[in-house]
Amino acid sequence: MTFVNKIFFYFLFVSLIALFFNSNSFSQNEFQKQLKIQFDFAKELYNKEEYFDAITELKRLIFFDKEKEYSYSANELIGETYKMGAKFSDAIQYFTLAVIHSTNNEELFNSKIEIIRVNILRRTIDRALSLLDSLDSDKRFSNKKIDISYWRGWAYIFEDKWNKAAQEFNKVDSDHELKKLSEQVENSKYSVAEAKILSFIFPGAGQFYTGNYISGILSFGWNLLWGYITINSFIKDRIFDGIVVGELLWLRFYRGNLQNAEKFAEEKNKEISNKALNFLQFEYNGPKP
Amino acid sequence: MIPTICLVFLFFSQAFPQKDSSDYFDINSTSNIKKFADYLFCADDYLRAALEYEKYLSSYYNDTVEFKIGLSYSRIGNYSKAIEWFNKIKNNSGFSNDARNEYFKSLFQSGDYYNFRKYYSENIVNNDKIRNLDKLFYFSYFFTDDELPPRNDFLNPFNLKEENKINEFYQRKTNPPYKSVAAAVIMSSLIPGSGKIYTGQIGDGIIAAIATGLCGYLAYDNFKAKHNFRGWVFSGLIAFFYAGNIYGSAASAQIYNAGIQFNFQNDVKLYLNQQNYFTPEYDFCK
Repeated sequence: MTFVNKIFFYFLFVSLIALFFNSNSFSQNEFQKQLKIQFDFAKELYNKEEYFDAITELKRLIFFDKEKEYSYSANELIGETYKMGAKFSDAIQYFTLAVIHSTNNEELFNSKIEIIRVNILRRTIDRALSLLDSLDSDKRFSNKKIDISYWRGWAYIFEDKWNKAAQEFNKVDSDHELKKLSEQVENSKYSVAEAKILSFIFPGAGQFYTGNYISGILSFGWNLLWGYITINSFIKDRIFDGIVVGELLWLRFYRGNLQNAEKFAEEKNKEISNKALNFLQFEYNGPKP
Repeated sequence: MIPTICLVFLFFSQAFPQKDSSDYFDINSTSNIKKFADYLFCADDYLRAALEYEKYLSSYYNDTVEFKIGLSYSRIGNYSKAIEWFNKIKNNSGFSNDARNEYFKSLFQSGDYYNFRKYYSENIVNNDKIRNLDKLFYFSYFFTDDELPPRNDFLNPFNLKEENKINEFYQRKTNPPYKSVAAAVIMSSLIPGSGKIYTGQIGDGIIAAIATGLCGYLAYDNFKAKHNFRGWVFSGLIAFFYAGNIYGSAASAQIYNAGIQFNFQNDVKLYLNQQNYFTPEYDFCK
């Protein structure tokens, strides 16, 4: 073999090697491009509220994304999509996968907050609060105290503890809209204990306190009637009659009067809370669970 | 020598990987759709798996895929679709027997027992796999009001191990321990509370008897002592307790009977689930 031939074959060999690596790197780029297109397509479906298809395409992306480049964002979006479809357990499963695949503290915090938001929505408040506590004690998120207080406030709202919610929103901003709303709700609520005590002292009074006047009058009337018959029986020395009427009728209506007062106060409070939740759902513009 | 090596290297490095990378590139290629569908099927995401398999079938015919679509629909309880897909599998397919088993199983699970029996009788074939379906055929009688076939015929397809259980179901279906509504009403009319005791509500029955008896005594005693107002109050209470107790006895008998029927069907379904409706388990996810 001449020297020229050797040089020629050397160049041929090097060119082939270069071609091989270049072609593989080209494939890799093409593949990454495809994954990007796939993610954008899934996002578009999500934005168009075609949630079933969005999840299918995101799952397809995760299946083919061997490098796990989209593991965080795809799992996060699947969780979001399941949440939109009120499939809360599935949403938590995928947000948890997003936590596992998060690559920095910001992503980690965001996906943990998402899990908390779903827990608030499905009213597993104890779980939401314990997760918030663990975030609060995590030094990596010491600059996120305001966010943590904000979502804790929401957790208390869903737990119907408006007073505690107001305290949490106060930590966010002493003039916060949700703080004012929580205080307003707390102040307009009826006291269940007060309703019961009123009815305990004067049958029907608790019902009057909660605005149920007809029920109050009826309760008072029944207690008056059976009370009169019971006492009258004892006065007339018909002790057994008195005990039977007193036990079977008077006490039954008296207990009913107490339970009624409690129930009405609770119902009224629920109405007030629901009205506030309705406002939050449709008219409040800030972040919601 | 070197050029040859180079050419061989070029051939193997470009020609063969090229085939894979074309699949690798297009995640929506037919083979990738199937891979993704298999993944969804094994992840129990059956609806998505079925839809992906259907997409795949628009390009290629594959009886395994057809069968898996049927299974997917069956597993999510969409029996009409499952029936449609099992029905599509051709007689010369390796899955034809399994598809027939699954077809009848889906028909059974859809609750269409009359058509199950009709189609089964029309297609009856004597072989072992179909003999398994005989069991389902007889089980369908437990869910309808039709008269049960004779006990010996009924037990015929079942093996010795199964026979005891089937005998018990047969007995419960032919002689359900129902309580008579009329008897409960008559008993409570004669002795307040006895109708409730008859239907198993012993506590309620005793309380009803005491309340009615006590009010009766007090009404009588008050009228006797010329306390007419209280006498009428207790009379009103007797009427209330007496009528309530008769109505309650009738309702209690009806609830008891509904419970018997519900528990029977529940037990039968539980048994069928444990037996996987006498069809084999398929493992496509090894």
